[in-house]
Amino acid sequence: MNKTLLGYVPNESPIYAVHPFVKLFFLLIVSLFPMFVTAPDWNIGLMVVIVIFMWISRVNMSTLKIYVPVAISMGTIIFLSYTVLGGTHPEFELLARVAGINFYWERIRDALVVYFRVLPMIFTMVFFLSTSRERDVIVAMRSIKVPFVITYVFAMSLRSAGMVLEDFQIVRQAEKARGFDPAGKSLPYKIRQYVMYMIPLFALSLRRSEEFTNALVARGYAFTGEISKVKRADYILTHYTYKYFDYIFIAMIGLAFVALLVFRYGFGYFQVDQSWLMNLLREVVS
Amino acid sequence: MTSVIDIKDYTWKYLHTESPALNNIDLSIEEGSFVGIIGPNGAGKTTLAYSMDGLIPGQYNGIKKGTVNVFGKEVESYNKGELQQVVGVVFSDPEAQFTAMTVEDELVFGMENIGLTIQEIRERLEWVTELTGLTDLLLKPPYEISGGQKQRVALAAVLAMKPKLLILDEPTSMLDPVSRKMIFEVLKKLKTDEDSTIVVIEHSLENLIPLADQMILMADGEIILQENTREFFNNSDLLLEKGVYPPGVLYFFHELHRKGLYQGEYPLTVEQGKNLLQQLVK
Repeated sequence: MNKTLLGYVPNESPIYAVHPFVKLFFLLIVSLFPMFVTAPDWNIGLMVVIVIFMWISRVNMSTLKIYVPVAISMGTIIFLSYTVLGGTHPEFELLARVAGINFYWERIRDALVVYFRVLPMIFTMVFFLSTSRERDVIVAMRSIKVPFVITYVFAMSLRSAGMVLEDFQIVRQAEKARGFDPAGKSLPYKIRQYVMYMIPLFALSLRRSEEFTNALVARGYAFTGEISKVKRADYILTHYTYKYFDYIFIAMIGLAFVALLVFRYGFGYFQVDQSWLMNLLREVVS
Repeated sequence: MTSVIDIKDYTWKYLHTESPALNNIDLSIEEGSFVGIIGPNGAGKTTLAYSMDGLIPGQYNGIKKGTVNVFGKEVESYNKGELQQVVGVVFSDPEAQFTAMTVEDELVFGMENIGLTIQEIRERLEWVTELTGLTDLLLKPPYEISGGQKQRVALAAVLAMKPKLLILDEPTSMLDPVSRKMIFEVLKKLKTDEDSTIVVIEHSLENLIPLADQMILMADGEIILQENTREFFNNSDLLLEKGVYPPGVLYFFHELHRKGLYQGEYPLTVEQGKNLLQQLVK
């Protein structure tokens, strides 16, 4: 397993044979699927499919636990927004009234629908981050002719994020070496003392940006002027070629999306009232 | 020989500072020479390096007097990116110089900037990775490799652009002795095989001295001493006075000289020192 600035990727994986653009295409298109699907059953199915893809791609599933708090906190926020903060709706079916708060079936249903729409999107993103090295992202963007300056700014922000994290560790160790260790202290104390991290980190970031600018100038790069008009060879792209299966994958993803739209708008599939899971839940709570 | 660098009456003062970082500098560097610049911290060495690459005044605000001619042209009259095609700079902190996600991307970045074709890039990449011993690291992220490897990547990235003048600003200050030696091995190959013009700002004198044709001592923004390497170290009293400690072998013979036990030229390397000592003992 390799650590990247984006997460962890497996050392060896069959997905590395796939062109980076296919992975980006998968991310962009499959993330849209849940937007057209309100029945959670299908979105759960999509998540299962993505987990299978992860397993085939040899993604280390234990590293995925870092995303669990995100999923839980997001679910909590959605549920609270729709129920506790959902307001009064006499037109809805009241299931329970606890401490003056009304719990309506429709609001719970909507919360679940939204949650199970967002989750597959996160799964798709996690799949992408768990199978793409930083370079893959850049290559994918360049292969669809995204202007160099945009891909480069994106790469620089990834790089800068990594550097800020490294600098943060240095500052933290330096503060610890001087006897400042917030471990075991209360949260308000930690928040107050974070200023001690932020000031040197900010100063370091300023210095880094100066050095970074100097490095860019020294390598003959400029955002403006004649030099910026030089035709770039884009050497990295020579390492990547589209193979027949890349075209098959692109076609499959595209066709799946078209099929989804046809079934959704042509035949009325994927609606929440057709959801077996929601009907079951309704019976239980009623 | 023609001068690649010609600096006359050059003074540079950074904005909001009291005294100039460089004061009345006169310096000429000939094509194909290997120049070592030494001096205590705050002497103005980095400012001088930046002045030769156009980073000053391009990237910094300040007041300039005098002229800095690089390849016969004042630095300010170069178009953006034009000077960097002939002058390459390697900075002291390799981490801060990386602009890409893999070693290969890092090496290629500069070459793409100057508009080389894919074939030219491929050839130069092969040449530079072999020269600097980076062939096995091409696909690694630059932030994951060791300090010595990082600095070799930074050096290789600049070399790949094939600058006519290479300036290295304390390239080994963050490295262990073995990594330092490896960097100087690369510089030695460049000196002997490529006949490059190289300026190295360095504190590690034992590595620098065997390669340098000419040495410059800077202090308080001024050039105090500029001589060919052998004559330079015959002024060891001045060096010591300015806080520059010559390598052990040189210092030893300087002490012998001071005590009247030795009158000849100082040896520059341990090997030369050993031979001289053998002769003295005989």
